[in-house]
Amino acid sequence: MGGPMSSRVWAIGFVALALIWLYVPILVIVLFSFTTSPRLSLPIEGVTLEWYGKALSDPLMTTALANSLTLAAVTATVAGLLGAAFAFGLVALKRQRLRTGLLAASVLPAIVPLLVIGIALAVFFRGLGMPQGMFNAAMGHILVCMPFVILTMNARLETFDFSVLDAARDLGASPYQAFRDITFPLIRPSVLGSALLAAALSLDEFVVTWFNIGNRLTVPVLVWGWMRRGVDPSINAIATLLLSLLIALVLTAGLLTQKKKP
Amino acid sequence: MTDAAVEIIGITKKFGPLTALAGIDLQIGAGEFVSLLGASGCGKSTLLRIIAGFETASAGAVRIYGEDVTRRPPERRPTNLVFQRGALFPHMSVAENIGYALRLRGWDRRRLSGRVEEMLALVRLEGLGARLPSQLSGGQAQRVALARALAGEPRVLLLDEPLSALDFKLRQQMQLELRSIQRRLGATFVFVTHDQTEALVMSDRIAIMNRGQIVQVGSPREIYRRPATAFVSDFVGATNLLAGVVAETDGDVLRLDTPSGPYLVRLTGSAPARGAPAALSLRPESIRISRDFSPPSGRGVTGTIADIVYQGAATRVGAQIVGGQILWADLRDDEAEGLAPGDTVTLHWAENAATLVQEDPG
Repeated sequence: MGGPMSSRVWAIGFVALALIWLYVPILVIVLFSFTTSPRLSLPIEGVTLEWYGKALSDPLMTTALANSLTLAAVTATVAGLLGAAFAFGLVALKRQRLRTGLLAASVLPAIVPLLVIGIALAVFFRGLGMPQGMFNAAMGHILVCMPFVILTMNARLETFDFSVLDAARDLGASPYQAFRDITFPLIRPSVLGSALLAAALSLDEFVVTWFNIGNRLTVPVLVWGWMRRGVDPSINAIATLLLSLLIALVLTAGLLTQKKKP
Repeated sequence: MTDAAVEIIGITKKFGPLTALAGIDLQIGAGEFVSLLGASGCGKSTLLRIIAGFETASAGAVRIYGEDVTRRPPERRPTNLVFQRGALFPHMSVAENIGYALRLRGWDRRRLSGRVEEMLALVRLEGLGARLPSQLSGGQAQRVALARALAGEPRVLLLDEPLSALDFKLRQQMQLELRSIQRRLGATFVFVTHDQTEALVMSDRIAIMNRGQIVQVGSPREIYRRPATAFVSDFVGATNLLAGVVAETDGDVLRLDTPSGPYLVRLTGSAPARGAPAALSLRPESIRISRDFSPPSGRGVTGTIADIVYQGAATRVGAQIVGGQILWADLRDDEAEGLAPGDTVTLHWAENAATLVQEDPG
């Protein structure tokens, strides 16, 4: 019995357990979204796409899906553009302390509990006399997603060489032309990537949405309602669809924002 | 002065309480290669950026071919800048980089690509037009940066330490290449560097900067042979400084009293007042060492050899003189033969080898 050998076995075992803990519940949901049995039971009786059909033909679900996608699109656009502009401004700041201070301030909402943000927004909008609805939910989503956009953009822009902008101006470009020809093409992948990340975050946002959307539905809100009546396998189908969409978004975002090799 | 390409008139730049440039005056002639030479932080890059339009002067004016450009943004100045690290547009090909200024001016495609080919040939990068900047070596990238800056035929080309990131051999080669391109085009180059050899090799004139001021302007030979101040003589090349006090002046010969004895020096400029602090600058290569030789008075000193350093092309011999200072002399191999630490020798120099330098202002 070699000491190093056995400690290695322990290490591998621990990692395996952790991975099982993380992924088995998700895999179970994916698996049972394709089985004929309405209950979570083994062995699997048969394979079907029935639950997908059922979920997607439900008029409530189609409304919820449309609302979710609308919110995601609005959030991606607004949070993406505002966050990118903010991050670009931050990186261009010469004063280091002001820069780190502003970055910390802009990222802080990411660690404020969603419950607090949700309630605060609801109270705020109520104070303004704005009834709950899609607009309020969208504002909430933008608020929640912006810190992540700023963080992603900031990380990518740290390596941005501002002397290329000086070079463009020097060669005769107006500030607008320099932005059009140099800045924008260079930061476009990062902006797109962080916008996709914002879309992903928006799609599965529940808490802030719940407090602000009123009687409208998003996919998470609808699923939450269904869950109170018991687990229908079509919920597994919805969860699997959502999961695939999120994985696709996050992977694309990752590819777009990754730093190029020097 | 009508043929001045660049006139810098009383340029002052303050960053908060710091004065980066204190009233700089400099005229650069058309077709001239002028280097701004100084240690980092002396203000040379700030001055270049003020000429280019990236910094605004706190006071003073910049004229280019008689036109006042002080308040103009960089895109409306007839200057182009070669950046320290190239600053090539990473998403554009080499050809697109070089053609950018011309594209902004609306050149048609045929004329533009003809000009790009011309520029590629000028910097000897034919056939690399389709490459991306990330596929270039450091030397190639700087050549593209040069071609890009020259493509729009600027009236004045500004270069901000463009060779500093290159290795020694490549730097030497690029120095000669830059020089020959400048001569071929007859263009006006303003070149910022902290490397005194670079400045000596390439320039028609050198402006030495220290603490936000120009301390001397002159040809490389003047700067090297007749440094105006102790700072210049120390910064450009190696030197021995014998500090002392002006004792008396007889015609154009001045006597300087120092701890190691009185020295005589021929004046090239006006005579400083008696009692003024000054120093004698002696290049190591102009000092000779003998065992039994009594030099004419005021042009030699006795010392004890303290150190012998073999440097390949020369042997640097250090001798301690009265007062403890060590004078360094660069000798040929055969001259250094037979010398050993502890030997008592005479150090001496020719009449025109010594230069009187003044204390630095400020």
